[in-house]
Amino acid sequence: MIPAITPRPRTGGDAVLEALEREGVDVIFGYPGGTIMPFYDALYGHPMRHILVRHEAAAAFAAGGYARTSGRVGVCCATSGPGATNLVTGLVDAMMDSIPVVAITANVRMPLMGTDGFQEADVCAITQCTTKASILITDPAQLYTKVREAFALARSGRPGPVLIDIPTDVLKAPYVPEQNPPRKVNDVKPVASAESVKAAVDAIRSSHRPVAIAGGGARDPKAVKAFRELCALLGLPHTTTICGLGASDPNDVHGLGMLGMHGTKASNLTVHAADVVLAFGMRFDDRVTGRPDRFAKEATIVHNDIDVSEFDKIIPTHVKLHGDAADTIKAIIAELKSGHVPRFDDWAVQAKALGGPLPSDVSKDGHLSATDFLDQLFAAMPAKAIVSTDVGQHQMWAAQRFKPNAPRDFCTSAGLGSMGFGFPAAIGACFANPGRPVFAICGDGGFQMTMPELATVKRYQVPVKIVLIDNRNLGMVRQWQELFYDERYSATNLSDNPDFCTIASAYDIESFRINGPEDAPGQLAAFLAYSGPALLHVSCYPMELVWPMIPAGGVVEDLMESKG
Amino acid sequence: MNYDLVVGDPRTVARVINMAHRFQCRASRVDSTSTDTVTTAHFEFAGDAKQLDRLRAQIDRIVQFEKIFVS
Repeated sequence: MIPAITPRPRTGGDAVLEALEREGVDVIFGYPGGTIMPFYDALYGHPMRHILVRHEAAAAFAAGGYARTSGRVGVCCATSGPGATNLVTGLVDAMMDSIPVVAITANVRMPLMGTDGFQEADVCAITQCTTKASILITDPAQLYTKVREAFALARSGRPGPVLIDIPTDVLKAPYVPEQNPPRKVNDVKPVASAESVKAAVDAIRSSHRPVAIAGGGARDPKAVKAFRELCALLGLPHTTTICGLGASDPNDVHGLGMLGMHGTKASNLTVHAADVVLAFGMRFDDRVTGRPDRFAKEATIVHNDIDVSEFDKIIPTHVKLHGDAADTIKAIIAELKSGHVPRFDDWAVQAKALGGPLPSDVSKDGHLSATDFLDQLFAAMPAKAIVSTDVGQHQMWAAQRFKPNAPRDFCTSAGLGSMGFGFPAAIGACFANPGRPVFAICGDGGFQMTMPELATVKRYQVPVKIVLIDNRNLGMVRQWQELFYDERYSATNLSDNPDFCTIASAYDIESFRINGPEDAPGQLAAFLAYSGPALLHVSCYPMELVWPMIPAGGVVEDLMESKG
Repeated sequence: MNYDLVVGDPRTVARVINMAHRFQCRASRVDSTSTDTVTTAHFEFAGDAKQLDRLRAQIDRIVQFEKIFVS
């Protein structure tokens, strides 16, 4: 119950809040502290929804989850010094995966800046290299404009995070209404030239073994629609990066699954054998290419990206399509339809046959196989579910098995691989998608990094379903130690994990427990039927590995499907 | 590789130098002048040709971030 509000003079904090409202912000994930108090004072009793997390890192991850699953800008805030630095990982995470996030931090008052004042950190400098922009606002009259410009920048072109740092005396200063409208945004999207589109179509028409790849740049629903249309038009075998999962129509028989280190055999072999690679909105990450000089070395590389700096960064590009993915794919379709439209169904069937079912370990020693369990989970999951994962083995198993209807239905820390992301990102996804079922699939290592967010779930009754795949190990690191470090298991054993159900209970959150294969059907059904937040603890066989695997820096011939 | 930069935010000069370091290139010469609204800088970089190409592309990218606004 909020007591009656005593009238108070309006401040810079109110200007920031008004600017956020003007940008359509409906929720902020944050944590208060000394210097940001004027902003929190403005929030007091204000209809803007503020979600109090229990660590600032979770605020940044939640904002990322909100943005990833909605396409809208996620917003987080924190106080100066440690509050601000705790946001940093989430901002780098957003930068790596091109996610629009605006972070608001306060700083010490201007006369103290540079004096090593209490809780002072130069967060603008710290984040300068890992955001699209870090903006220090020193003039109260500029608050309104600069906040709004931060949103424009976060959304524009290739999206990304922007940090706004505001000294506390600027936040405390008397309210100044919007002085000038924000500078106009010259956000004219680049358009792939007609010559480049024609070159792409020529490459397709002269191809015998083309393959298409969708990356995170094809997340937008318009791009997804165009990508699916192109694949259907040509009978084209196609794959996605982890950020592009869901771009492929789950019912298209020519979809090959995920590409890369833990991608499917069919997708990796098909790209390797291709004579034309059509890459849309992807950046040829090393987890996708392996050894770059051996990646699709016989192929003409047709690369579409909105960010010109991605061309030739890793893989030499033969045809550069500088433009938005949706517009570019539509242009290719139009150009194709103006003449001969080839079909590649036979090649697509051959491509599919290059693979086979995902290798999966079976239950051993009475333990449950995590992959067997995930197969059960995804089969039973309600329609329109959103899945957020943490980072590690469970992330790869989920990416291999979950068939999202759209890229925004699968939320994962791909480029940065931030452990601790999955649970708070799922909380963000719940706020962005009210009414939709949201699952956080976490490992026991990553979950413990942001586990106190159980308090956030409890306070706001966030209807997230937490699936905790507990193999009592830092499984992915352990897998590499087993395969590449002669089984020297240095600092990966988590056999002294706490009882997670007891912890959930301490936060008054319902929990369910699967100790072995026999428990799975009943406990899973009860967990799914439970209305409200809940945790499902799944005790899994600790030695299960992620297959297939192409070792880091390896080539497709190195693809392993088992330890032997 | 030479690069001439014109930006609004003088801190971009530092960002470019940091980026060169990350790309294992050396900023062998930096001349920079700032007014209240404009910073110009001339850089001379040394390093591996491929890394210099990547560096140029990334500097172009961060310069573009400023250019979305029409004053």
